[in-house]
Amino acid sequence: MTNEPVLQINHLQKKFGHFEALKNITFDVHAGEVFGFIGPNGAGKSTTIRVLLGLIRATDGNATIFGQDVWSNSVAIHRRLAYVPGDVYLWPNLTGGEIIDLLLKVNGTQHSSRTDELIKQFGLDPTKKARTYSKGNRQKVALIAAFSQDADFYIFDEPTSGLDPLNERQFQMAVLNLKQQGKAVLLSSHILSEVERMCDRIAIIREGTIIETGSLAEMRHLTRTVINVTLKTPLDLTQLAGVHNVEAGQHPNEWQFSVEAKSLPAVMAALTEHHIMALQSTPPTLEDLFMHYYTTEKE
Amino acid sequence: MTTHFSRTGRLTGLALRRDRFKILIWILVLAGLMVGVAYKFTDIFGTQHEIAAIKDTLKSPAMVALLGAFKFTNNPSTAQIFSTEMVVFMAIAQIIMNIMLGIHATRGEEDQGITELVRSRAVGQLAPLSAAALELIIVNAIIAVIYGAGLGFSGMHGMTTAGNWAVGIGLAAVSLVFGLLGLVAAQLADHSASATGLTYGLFGLAYIVRMMTDVQNPDYTWWSPLGWVEKISPFYHLNWLPIALSLVTAIILFFLAASINLNRDLNAGALATRPGRRTASSFLRDPASLLWRREHNVIIGWIIGIAVLGMTYGSIYNTVGDMLKTNPTMQQVFGANVLHEANHAMLVNFTSTLVVLMAAVAAIPGIQLVYKLYSDETNGWLESLYARPLSRTRLFFSYVITGILSSLVTFVGAISSLIFVGNATLDHPKDGLTMFEFWQSIWGQLPAILVFIGIAVTIIGWWPRIRSLNWLYLGLGFISIYMGGMLKLPKWAQHLSPLGWMNKVPTNKVPTHDVEWANFSWMLTLSLALILLGWWGYRRRDLHMS
Repeated sequence: MTNEPVLQINHLQKKFGHFEALKNITFDVHAGEVFGFIGPNGAGKSTTIRVLLGLIRATDGNATIFGQDVWSNSVAIHRRLAYVPGDVYLWPNLTGGEIIDLLLKVNGTQHSSRTDELIKQFGLDPTKKARTYSKGNRQKVALIAAFSQDADFYIFDEPTSGLDPLNERQFQMAVLNLKQQGKAVLLSSHILSEVERMCDRIAIIREGTIIETGSLAEMRHLTRTVINVTLKTPLDLTQLAGVHNVEAGQHPNEWQFSVEAKSLPAVMAALTEHHIMALQSTPPTLEDLFMHYYTTEKE
Repeated sequence: MTTHFSRTGRLTGLALRRDRFKILIWILVLAGLMVGVAYKFTDIFGTQHEIAAIKDTLKSPAMVALLGAFKFTNNPSTAQIFSTEMVVFMAIAQIIMNIMLGIHATRGEEDQGITELVRSRAVGQLAPLSAAALELIIVNAIIAVIYGAGLGFSGMHGMTTAGNWAVGIGLAAVSLVFGLLGLVAAQLADHSASATGLTYGLFGLAYIVRMMTDVQNPDYTWWSPLGWVEKISPFYHLNWLPIALSLVTAIILFFLAASINLNRDLNAGALATRPGRRTASSFLRDPASLLWRREHNVIIGWIIGIAVLGMTYGSIYNTVGDMLKTNPTMQQVFGANVLHEANHAMLVNFTSTLVVLMAAVAAIPGIQLVYKLYSDETNGWLESLYARPLSRTRLFFSYVITGILSSLVTFVGAISSLIFVGNATLDHPKDGLTMFEFWQSIWGQLPAILVFIGIAVTIIGWWPRIRSLNWLYLGLGFISIYMGGMLKLPKWAQHLSPLGWMNKVPTNKVPTHDVEWANFSWMLTLSLALILLGWWGYRRRDLHMS
């Protein structure tokens, strides 16, 4: 197996008239990894995915999947790709079962025992007309069609927004299973706990630009750790470099503050001099990172 | 009880605002036609000589089948000729407007989930339905006022103020009946496409009953609501009874729709949806079979509907092609051979007009299917397909070819049932149309259908937003054929649409006995070019996903 990324995006841009929906999108997804793609509504996640699917054409930059251009070779790429859209629209007068089979046949595959198993796992009634399905059930139809296909690259655009917690779990297990088989997965999601749990690497998009890419551990270095400490002797924490949001706790000499990752060693040394009695450190969650990028950097 | 209707007024205002452009265009087109034609009519049929010439034509069975059986005095006035020519035709147009607006405002909104959002507010259960009914009443009332006042200004000889207003109010009342029929269908069916199909089916039935009874015995025309517009007879023994009858029927239909509405769940139809297949049949495997699976009811409906229309027109061949009825001494004076030739000529003439008419109608399913390519795209239904190894070219041609085939089968079916049923009804089979003339009829209008579909394809490939312009174009072409001769439209107006680009065939005029094959070839080339142009555009453009 070569080390070439499955998906490669370089300085992708997309304009709709004068509106720049995508300004600069650059990231790679490799085989055997689950890649999280996060950002608020309207940041350009779905637009990026539609460019990747060849539904809309990039204004500038380029994107390749399996080394082939996403616009001109879309048919060849789609033979090895599975996709679940964020809003699943189904033909209203067909049943869920018919739609699953049709989507499989268009891919040149068939309804298999794996399909039956998935229908059972997700608890879908395939005899109902699509018109009567709820949002969650429509998503199940798309998910079953995607998972019963043997693809090399899977794209999920907010796939669990309508699913109940049980089905969400089914989804997460199925994705981890794909990862173990060495497939590449691009997961765009709002549910940050899900991304945190499943994704190896993450890209954060804001207003059409990727502002951060990396593993969660790498990203944590870019933000502050929250520390709650009780000292034996007084210390003016505000004098230390890299310390922010200092608040006094309930007890004398109890402090709560956040500290930049690069200042952590110096701050820890200073704290030790004043005899640490209790210490609690909370690493930033993805939600903290997200808030950090969307609130602090905007100011 | 009043709580059922709370906020109806607010919703009506919202509905009128939502449909304002559609309503405006309909009113402009309808009022422009009615008042414009009335204004021109004194020029066209001002003198006794001109009126005498048209009078006999209007009494011929062929014209009665097209326009309706009207009564007029021995020396008809301009206004009497006007009402004979215009009323049924204008009723058809206004009824189509009512059905479209009515179903869109009820089942269409429900399909889109808007009704659910509205009903979650402090809004009565019947408020959306009542708002739709009120919208129709208001739009029809506006048209009635414009017609009534506009005809008053036309200065036609023989018009009366009461008659003018009877035309306006009568058309509004009869059209409202069909609009409310649409609202009933919207309660029965569980999505707008089947509600529309159901309503047009009943409307088609009303048209056929009107035509058959008009030709056989106009007394029975009372059985068709569409026939009621004839019975108003605005400028000769004006009768208000049909208007009262229409309004009573409309009220009954409203209460019927309301009672069904109160007894059904939101988003469900009164006719229940059965569970369907667990797996797809082996037939359902690609975009073309998917389109057929979804649309075959509509396509088959068109084919059968237009074939029935052809048959009904064919069934009056024996009456049309019988000169002895209007001219009993002809056989004695000219002999049997000349009589047969004259009868044959009548039939050929009648057929050639109908062929153009059928072509215009047969173009509709084709254009609709091509336009589905765009509405499916904006509905988001193509996204899952395009994420699969499926090229745009393949999807594009699946729709275009299905569209072309549907139109062609509809057209050929209509002409076959017209001519073969027509020939079978004749007392003297040798008066009938020959196989040669049958094929001439087919080849004569086939290219026009293809050009209309070609225009639709180009629009979808490049500027899907302007797609209603093609309907307008087809509508204008239809009017110029349906009414062109009657209104003495200038030649250029009749040549405006592809329907008028070929000479009328079959014909027995010696210099142009045949299809104009040169025109045939370049029209075919043009439609092919339009399709390829559309294909090129469709492959290049961004897809619009909701």
